Amino acid sequence: MFENRKLEILTLIGLFAFVVLFIIVSGQSGHEFAGSDDVGSEKIAELTGKPVDSFTPVIPQYEPPSGEIESTLFALQATFGGVIVGLVIGYWYGQKRRSTTA
Amino acid sequence: MHIMEGFLPWQWCLVWWLIAIPFLVLGVIELRSLLRKDREYLPLLGVCGAFIFILSALKLPSVTGSCSHPTGTGLSVMCFKPYITAVIGFVVLLFQALLLAHGGLSTLGANMVSMAIGGPLVGYAVYRLLKNTSVNIFVTVFCVAAVADIVTYIITSFELAVAYPAAVGGIAASFAAFFVIFAITQIPLSILEGLVLALVFKYIIQLKPDLIEKLGVFSKQQIDAALGIKTGVPEQKV
Repeated sequence: MFENRKLEILTLIGLFAFVVLFIIVSGQSGHEFAGSDDVGSEKIAELTGKPVDSFTPVIPQYEPPSGEIESTLFALQATFGGVIVGLVIGYWYGQKRRSTTA
Repeated sequence: MHIMEGFLPWQWCLVWWLIAIPFLVLGVIELRSLLRKDREYLPLLGVCGAFIFILSALKLPSVTGSCSHPTGTGLSVMCFKPYITAVIGFVVLLFQALLLAHGGLSTLGANMVSMAIGGPLVGYAVYRLLKNTSVNIFVTVFCVAAVADIVTYIITSFELAVAYPAAVGGIAASFAAFFVIFAITQIPLSILEGLVLALVFKYIIQLKPDLIEKLGVFSKQQIDAALGIKTGVPEQKV
């Protein structure tokens, strides 16, 4: 059933190329790897001539107090997704096995 | 691709919210009728939504020396069409706005139009275009996912450009500037996303071909051909 692995190999090659690209780019100087959201915000500040800090939330919002807490919340977000994917794929796999063996 | 809270004039917040709301309402209605009809679709809905959750949490480095995240909406828009995708995208963006200060409530409308509505819509158009051709279905999934991803960022650039036209060159000049920041960064990411979602789709049709067939995503012949003849090699496009 799983003898055809072309797509897997292609994805791995893509992933590998992505990592190589990252290593090449990070070897050059002047790259901070900041989020494009923040770079975009800086561009807005530049276009309007107002400093980034002058843009205050229209609707007050919670901000993670530190990068640590932010990374925890992002990890939770991905974990939630991962759990669902694993659960469903496992459920389907079990269904399929039961129906083929029965 | 998030427009941060406070970084969009309130008039534009309103415009994008007004565009987003009808999609959200229609999505909720469609979602309810789908789940009332058949609970069997719930796991697939979960998987599609979960991939939006996972992929949009991954900040990946790119060639421009900044980081961005994929969107993961391609799978959902093919299986459940644009309205339901808008609802799933809304949930993800709401989570990020409320807890992570990525985007905000006032800019949520604009962020929905780019990630949850616009990108998926164009991806859906690509799917409709390729669906009844002889193009391999994995190639189709690859194209849909990659296009939905990159278009999301093009729309973000557009949203910012119309709100902040440059003093010299106007909207076009500032669109070009935002395009470099958002869309160029996104090109490698969208290719990677296309590959990953094509792979995920392969596993879905291996385990649940009947579900994809029942939703009318692809015909039985197409699925059988993809699984049987074993030509699952998407070309590197985009």
